[in-house]
Amino acid sequence: MTVRRFHAEIGAAIVTGALGLAAMIGATELGVGWEESGPQSGYFPFYVGLILVGASLWNLVAAFLAHRATVAGHARTGEAEEPFLDSARLGRLGRFLAVMLAFVIVTLVMGIYVGSASYIAYSAWRGGYRPLFALAMGVGFALALYLVFEVAFLMPLLKGPIEPLLGIY
Amino acid sequence: MGNFDLLMQGFGVAITPMHLVLMVAGVLLGLVVGVLPGLGAPNGVSLLIPLTFTLDPTSAIILLSSMYWGALFGGSTTSILFNIPGEPSSVATTFDGYPMAKAGQSTRALTLAFMSAGFGALLGVLVITLLAGWASDFALRFGAPEYFAVYFLAFAAFIGMGSASPVKTVVSLSMGLLLASVGMDNVTGEVRLTFGFSELLGGISFLVVVIGLFGIGELLATVQEGLKFRGVSSRIDLRDVFRTMAELPRYWATSLRSGLIGIWMGITPGGPTAASFMSYGIARQASRKGEPFGTGRPEGIIAPETADHSAGSCAMLPMLALGVPSSATAAVMMGGLMIWGLTPGPMLFATKPDFVWGLIASMYISNVVGVILVLMTVPMFAALLRIPFAIIGPMIVAICFVGGYTVSGASFDLWLVLLFGLVGYLFTRLDYPLAPLVLSMVLGHKAENAFYQSMILSDGSLKVFFSNPLVGSIMALALALLILPKLLQLGGRLRRRQPVE
Repeated sequence: MTVRRFHAEIGAAIVTGALGLAAMIGATELGVGWEESGPQSGYFPFYVGLILVGASLWNLVAAFLAHRATVAGHARTGEAEEPFLDSARLGRLGRFLAVMLAFVIVTLVMGIYVGSASYIAYSAWRGGYRPLFALAMGVGFALALYLVFEVAFLMPLLKGPIEPLLGIY
Repeated sequence: MGNFDLLMQGFGVAITPMHLVLMVAGVLLGLVVGVLPGLGAPNGVSLLIPLTFTLDPTSAIILLSSMYWGALFGGSTTSILFNIPGEPSSVATTFDGYPMAKAGQSTRALTLAFMSAGFGALLGVLVITLLAGWASDFALRFGAPEYFAVYFLAFAAFIGMGSASPVKTVVSLSMGLLLASVGMDNVTGEVRLTFGFSELLGGISFLVVVIGLFGIGELLATVQEGLKFRGVSSRIDLRDVFRTMAELPRYWATSLRSGLIGIWMGITPGGPTAASFMSYGIARQASRKGEPFGTGRPEGIIAPETADHSAGSCAMLPMLALGVPSSATAAVMMGGLMIWGLTPGPMLFATKPDFVWGLIASMYISNVVGVILVLMTVPMFAALLRIPFAIIGPMIVAICFVGGYTVSGASFDLWLVLLFGLVGYLFTRLDYPLAPLVLSMVLGHKAENAFYQSMILSDGSLKVFFSNPLVGSIMALALALLILPKLLQLGGRLRRRQPVE
């Protein structure tokens, strides 16, 4: 599967446009007009949202125009449109993101220490290191986090159910 | 008291054992984030801000600004040795730096880069020293409409002078403004744009956004390329260092011109990245003899490096004097200042002279410290890039998420880091500029407040922005910056097209 730049541009424009629209709708509920003391609190977000929608539409149209130009150019020169993500890159990115997502979920459930230790251990293991070495890397990293944040800077990090059992709060 | 006396007083503040240790630590940390892909100056500083809450503001800003200088140096190191710009602003350094290093002259290339970077930075600080008092006096005459005009000027300069498509810059800017308005409205006290998420009541922290956009986003861009570092030898030969230093005065014209470009782009919100490209381009046009650029020309290293660093240090001036940062990193630092309870702007010079002049004095010292440290430690930091990505990549990810969490200790922020990581990746790939988003997010509240107050002053008439010569000329300048550059480009294109048709 290949994602073309054209598709990515359109996707981005739609997302930013939707964001602007959401802001406009949210602002309308607050009132976008004027009262005695000045603009209502929805005034500023409403017009900024409007600008965002306008700019997104512009980008959408620009993407279509650029696409048409390249398609026309393609017919003439035989040069294909630049791919945004070919399947190899998409795969690499997808795998990396999937592991990252798992890391976030594990962190939310089990705390940052368990999350980052297992994330780094898993990635090192997948990267071709011996399981024991990988595990040591993960635990070492978590330990370093503990020393820097909780001991040196007295800043508590997110903890899960395991840390209290070890006497760490 | 003149600027010189104040500066001397600043040196008194900056030169304490504690501050010198902070400078060295800051520069070293900066080198680490500058060298590692995915960790750049803006999010390196963001990651460090939560840890500065226990320091006093002067020590904190010295640490953060030293980190910034370190990151700028580190970015050039990887550009030259690995052909991988550690920072967006050191992209132009790869053009001639890497070819020169590949030809076996890596010491020469690095020394040229670091020395001209140091020269650029010192030139920038000198300008700050000379202009600081004047700029703050000037800014004391500002009222709400003038402030809004200055913010508008900053936004307009990004749109008109940026290298990205102006409409995409508008998208970035307005997204930043909207993100800033989420949560409690500080004028009316109403809760805005939370869409029922109680986690959003307190607003979205720009630190979390920066960590996602710049940290995770850039890392994703690195991953999809399937990291392959092919570095050249990173050994530093001391004799080569001195030989190269002796060669430097020959390029005085390039250095000076690039320094001036950097100063201009640093004070107006062009930013270091634009400055380095512009300076490289002009250096190429100005030279007529010798080998072509891109093959390892010394000027091709000196020009972008000098401009990059003088712009980087000059970006601190509008941030301190007006409260308008002109680079992403300066924006983050300004956000830090506000978190520490300081209000950037002209009053800062009057109420906290120790802070302002201590910072300015520290910029002299830490840049010299930076040049020495970076020359000493290049082999060590270059070795960082030889750590396999399977290990260093996930570590950077974990550090980014931990940093996002420490901003306010909210686990919801982890999702935001992930979300903005995706946004950052997409935006980088599609040439949406990220710096305007950060800038407008930091300035959002201030811009809205200034607008609100001006509107109250004038009973809702936009004429207030042209009501006196000061605000009128700022607005006119802003409009000119907004429209002129693209208009000139368009004009140039039309003129070139006519003979063809």
